[in-house]
Amino acid sequence: MTTTLAGGRAARRQTMRRIRPRRSPAVPLLLAVAAGGAGVLWLWWVNTPSIADTGGRIVNAGRITGLLAGYLMALVVLQMARVPALERRVGSDRVARWHAMSGRYTLCLVIAHVVLTMWGYALQAGKSFGGIVEQTISSVNELPDMGKAAIGTGLLLVIGLISIGPVRRALPYDAWYHVHLLTYAAVFLTFWHQITTGNDFAVEPAAKTFWYALYGGVTFMVIWYRILTPIRLNLRHQMRVEAVIEETPGVVSVLISGKKLHRMGAEAGQFFRWRFLAPGMRFSSHPYSLSAAPRPNLLRITVKAIGDHSARLRELRPGTRVWAEGPYGALTAYRRSRGKVLLIAGGVGITPMRALFETLPGAAGDITLLYRANSTQDLVLWDELAKIAEERGARLMYAVNSPDGERPDISAESLKRKIPDIDRHDVFMCGPPGFAQSVYEALRGAGVPARRIHHESFEM
Amino acid sequence: MRKSHPLRRAVLVGAATVSGIVLLLSLKPTTDPASASASGLPPQQSAAAQAPQGGSGAQRTGTQDITGDAVRTPYGSVQVRLTVSDGRIVQATAVQAPQGGTSGQKTQLAVPRLNQAAVAAQSADIDTVSGATYTSNGYKQSLQSALDKMKASGGSSGSSDSGAAQALTLTGKAVRTPYGPVQVRITVSGGRITKAEAVQAPQGGTSGQKTQLAVPRLNQAAVAAQSADIDTVSGATYTSNGYKQSLQSALDQAGG
Repeated sequence: MTTTLAGGRAARRQTMRRIRPRRSPAVPLLLAVAAGGAGVLWLWWVNTPSIADTGGRIVNAGRITGLLAGYLMALVVLQMARVPALERRVGSDRVARWHAMSGRYTLCLVIAHVVLTMWGYALQAGKSFGGIVEQTISSVNELPDMGKAAIGTGLLLVIGLISIGPVRRALPYDAWYHVHLLTYAAVFLTFWHQITTGNDFAVEPAAKTFWYALYGGVTFMVIWYRILTPIRLNLRHQMRVEAVIEETPGVVSVLISGKKLHRMGAEAGQFFRWRFLAPGMRFSSHPYSLSAAPRPNLLRITVKAIGDHSARLRELRPGTRVWAEGPYGALTAYRRSRGKVLLIAGGVGITPMRALFETLPGAAGDITLLYRANSTQDLVLWDELAKIAEERGARLMYAVNSPDGERPDISAESLKRKIPDIDRHDVFMCGPPGFAQSVYEALRGAGVPARRIHHESFEM
Repeated sequence: MRKSHPLRRAVLVGAATVSGIVLLLSLKPTTDPASASASGLPPQQSAAAQAPQGGSGAQRTGTQDITGDAVRTPYGSVQVRLTVSDGRIVQATAVQAPQGGTSGQKTQLAVPRLNQAAVAAQSADIDTVSGATYTSNGYKQSLQSALDKMKASGGSSGSSDSGAAQALTLTGKAVRTPYGPVQVRITVSGGRITKAEAVQAPQGGTSGQKTQLAVPRLNQAAVAAQSADIDTVSGATYTSNGYKQSLQSALDQAGG
């Protein structure tokens, strides 16, 4: 079966546009988030004319942490709502890191809020810090919606616990993911006590309206982008497995056919979250990059068997239905700001680079691909790459370990020697985190400005 | 891809959060009753001074007001005052009860029922209002302490106002409301309130506007009524209630 996807002329023409880099909206978004946080603190400030005593001070610290936690909780959920502006402009990897960071921070605020509030109430009731347990029990029993909030907080603690590095690595991904989905329940359960017992919402109708709008907006985005958008996409495109091809031992390409696939708006360098409706694979979806520019009736992913899921892909039968969500990812031609482009791939990170190598517009000599692998046998898709390079007049280089296992030299000096004008290139990079980090430093050393190094990394 | 330092970042973010919260808290004025008048409003120019016809509430013959201990609950203090006439409780009121948000709502719900129950039972053996357990229990404790005082004084009648000859200034308790503390100062002359003013009242933004609206009217009403039994200014319920409580505590001192 010779199903190499060569000659993507149509796709290349599609991306033949003027080089006009689109800025990531990250900075304005972060400023908006900070402004919202300041607004929340202002709400506390105007509703708290004075503080009576130590107990009051601690209760107020609890109120501040509670308000911030309530605000950030909505944003933590929003970051995972698969909003296109975040996924395609900021970049899924970056948003996922934000989500992890802000999630941890928010959980810390929640814990601080519970401890401080209960401690403060205990002090106001004339009890010491030891009365905190008794105080918590009575508050949960007495105050409206606190029972729900307690269950929600318990869920959040469990979710936080299983997301701690070692625990998470010990768990199967699917188990972790499905427990993680309980966050929605936890957020729902903890929402109501904010409205009914929150002092600022009780006395400030505008604040209450704002809070409903914030959580309502996030709920809408989640339903729209995580549920309705994928349903529409899959009803429209009806994707199925066309063929499974073994590229090298342990690496398979899956060809996926469907209707009007070019209308999905997928770009070279992007990925989808794939769910194969085969026994045992139905309940997990995994992100894999397109390893070729999308054709009107065909998509291709190339996957290295690392985990359980990726190893199973080789057993997929043609005709298996495919449920895809996407396209996501910001590592596309939009990031480019220069005529010359250097693509750097580490191992299976070749897949998005392969698609970009084929489609990035450029004259002969403009595009260079540097492919790092353990050995020449591990240079997946090499034949295709060589063909594209020849056809386009692009440069193709590889770096593999020497026969005695010595690692190739990728340093500022060697990069400069190979590509003398490297500092005038845009660099796209995809590979394992350690590799990406060392290459990044080498590139910076070779004079490539940070804003022209575009990379995607899915390690937290 | 700048090198990430997760630990350093965590420490920095944690320190920034803690110091931010500490800063915010330390910038807020404290309401220590001793320094209350210092941080309060400029004295309200109360239109009063000339008191209308006398004695509707402050002086009663044969009746006695007994204020129980203030009992602290997690949501605020509860303090009960009884009006005792000929050894019987004729009226029970809460001079302090939790205010603000849910607590305030619960107070509004529970206290009138507890007041009625106390008069009906003539003892502290009254039912807890469900949903307001803390307030009810605090109420019962304070009620019991008032009843104990009543017994100790033998239920004797007659210790009414001292009726000091010269003008006396009495400052009530600072009462917390969601918008800030309210504290009332009255000038008593010849057993009559000749002037009432708020030394503390909510300030800033809407609260400040409401204060400007409500406080002069409350001051006038206090002098006119000669008691804390004055109407709430609509739109400024919390401030009015706080005012009435503080006024009552000042009157309690006068009647002490």
